[in-house]
Amino acid sequence: MTLSFANVGETGSIRKILGDDSSRKKLMDMGFVEGAEVRVVCRVSGNLIVEVKGVRIAIDGSLANRIIVG
Amino acid sequence: MSEIALVGNPNSGKTTLFNYLTGSSQKVGNWPGVTVDKKAGRLKGHPNVSVVDLPGIYSLSPYSPEEVIARDYIMGGNLDAVINIVDATNLERNLYLTTQLRDMGVPVVVALNMIDVSRSKGEEIDVKELSKWLGCPVVPISALKREGLDDLVGETIRAIGTEQPVPKVFQPKVEEAISAVSAVLAGSEPDGLLRWSSVKLIEGDEAEREIHADDLAEIDPIVSSLEAAMDEDGETIIIDGRYNHIAAMVAVSVKKPDVEVVTLSDKIDAVVTNRWLALPIFFAVMFVVYYLSITTIGGWGTDWVNEAVFEEWAIPGAEQWLTDMGVNDMLVSLIVDGLITGVGAVLGFLPQMLVMFLLLAILEDSGYMARVAFVMDRIFRRFGLSGKSFIPILITTGCGVPGIMASRTIEDDRDRRITAMTCSFMPCAAKLPVIALIAGAIFNESPWIAPSLYFIGIFAILFSGVVLKKIQGFVGTPAPFIMEMPAYHMPNARTVAISSLDRLFHFVKKAGTIIILACALVWFLSAYNWSMAAVDVADSMLADIGHAVSVIFAPLGWDNWMATVATVTGLIAKENVVSTFGILFGLEEVSEAGDEIWANVAGMFSSGVAGYSFLLFNMLCAPCFAAIGAMRRELGTWKDTALAVGWQCGLAYAAAFVFYHFGTLATGGGLTIGFPFAVAVLALLIWLFARPMPNPEAGADEGVVPS
Repeated sequence: MTLSFANVGETGSIRKILGDDSSRKKLMDMGFVEGAEVRVVCRVSGNLIVEVKGVRIAIDGSLANRIIVG
Repeated sequence: MSEIALVGNPNSGKTTLFNYLTGSSQKVGNWPGVTVDKKAGRLKGHPNVSVVDLPGIYSLSPYSPEEVIARDYIMGGNLDAVINIVDATNLERNLYLTTQLRDMGVPVVVALNMIDVSRSKGEEIDVKELSKWLGCPVVPISALKREGLDDLVGETIRAIGTEQPVPKVFQPKVEEAISAVSAVLAGSEPDGLLRWSSVKLIEGDEAEREIHADDLAEIDPIVSSLEAAMDEDGETIIIDGRYNHIAAMVAVSVKKPDVEVVTLSDKIDAVVTNRWLALPIFFAVMFVVYYLSITTIGGWGTDWVNEAVFEEWAIPGAEQWLTDMGVNDMLVSLIVDGLITGVGAVLGFLPQMLVMFLLLAILEDSGYMARVAFVMDRIFRRFGLSGKSFIPILITTGCGVPGIMASRTIEDDRDRRITAMTCSFMPCAAKLPVIALIAGAIFNESPWIAPSLYFIGIFAILFSGVVLKKIQGFVGTPAPFIMEMPAYHMPNARTVAISSLDRLFHFVKKAGTIIILACALVWFLSAYNWSMAAVDVADSMLADIGHAVSVIFAPLGWDNWMATVATVTGLIAKENVVSTFGILFGLEEVSEAGDEIWANVAGMFSSGVAGYSFLLFNMLCAPCFAAIGAMRRELGTWKDTALAVGWQCGLAYAAAFVFYHFGTLATGGGLTIGFPFAVAVLALLIWLFARPMPNPEAGADEGVVPS
């Protein structure tokens, strides 16, 4: 499923990041890589704050839709 | 003479460390922003070593302007060593940049910052093991508590000129490809940068591909066969490779306690980003900021400076002293009526600005500001802007110059430019006296005037966001929002003080230069006529100029020459509007809200609607020269700056025009001749806002920022 469907507090492992642009590269630079654990801290109208590699990062819904977790 | 640079992630404590390492010797280039500019200084105790503070970055990709600055600087080859500051409390993400730096052939010393916080969480970091993996010295420090800093300086001095072993972080297949690419590049790159360039070429880095365009025919097959063998694209291979290596390194060298705790930051985030509470909390916080800085503490300080310092001491004192010295009357008048009065009107703001900058710095340092950007994103996104635009807008409410500067932290080119072009629609501290003057003189000190202008400011920004995005060159959707939310912590007194004094200093510098000149000029033009004879204001050159220009403002309801002159001097600095009225009405000193001239000001406008129209135009039109200068720096060209200033003045004119004619009708003033035109202008504005996005693909690719 995509990260946007994960529940608050839930932890998943990143399978893949869809797309091919600088946003994907930026996500990967900031630690969203295959196998990384990601936890949803909170959600506000589709935008998320998630924790990945010990850091809290805010992303908007369009990015959360591109992150596949399992 | 050696040169070292400080490199690290945002929020890693880099600025604190830099301040310590350079002490009082630091020189900040031009405008002080947060950490957007290249700061330099001399290493404490080693006067022959200079330290450069590079912007906070997560990676050395060529996307954001910060990354470009840092990357170009390190690749420039003049560096003798790099201090890489790393946040010990989130090693994995921070070490990503370290592994990139280690490819660049410069000696690196890792400063393992916030080691005290990491220890207090029960973590144990094996520094020797880490150093072995990274192939460079690692020094645990606490920049805040000033621990380990002597060791760090010692290690850095020792590292200069050494050759450090470059760790092979990737799996053998990838390392082979790197060697193969290096073989192609050999000779065309300095040896130190060979590995860096090769890795970047495998990643498909645009900047490197351009540099090595001639070699691509040989390199691309190497990359393609690696991609085929790994079944991944080059970018993923490299980034995953780095993170895998780091995960392995951290697994061996860091012992974390097993207990998973819900951190304080999580608890605070659950409240301040809550769907229902977020906005009320934000408005409450901002109310406190304005209450403390404008109404109470800062306001008291301003009153004291105006009354006790200038009115009772500086102005009569200077006049007395100059007269006693036998100085020529004209010169006394220039110095006292022109310069001291004018500059005094500006320096009176210092207490208010200082309190406001202090509070904003506390909000920034505590981590709350990042949450505000996150919360605002969902609103701003509807108007084609990013939530990150909100931080520059907030800082602009103090002063537009640091506000416009702060827009540089927005990575996306279009979002950054639109923010820099529009954030000065917000009333800055210098516009407040103008608001107070009109509200007092015409609207019986109505408490609704000031808030209405903040709302209009926000509305003008959102409106411009939508309209400008539809203009060629700005077309496109806002870049996706990605922003680190730093852990909440108690703001550090030193960091807050340095940041707010920095911004305040800039304001003083402006007062000391541009405004002195402007005051002298206004005084001169208002005291003489064209044949250089001393005359009353009403017969002066200034009056003639005002009369000539005031025609332009007649359609806005105020063809008064004094209002026109004040508007023009307001372009030099908004504080000038009130002080110009002071000079024009022949008063030596005008208090901040200009109570003494309320009656005169009220007499200038035919109606309240005309007065508000004057205010509206002055709030929205081009900001002061200093802010225009800051805009020029952020936008890169005079052409874009002219576009920005043109848009601001045009929108200000249109808004005041529409307001005046509709307002006159609504308040029983009847239909004006201009009314049909006002309807047309309003229709044009609505069309600009609502028209469909032209050719959305045209500007969809993200450009590298022009420097």
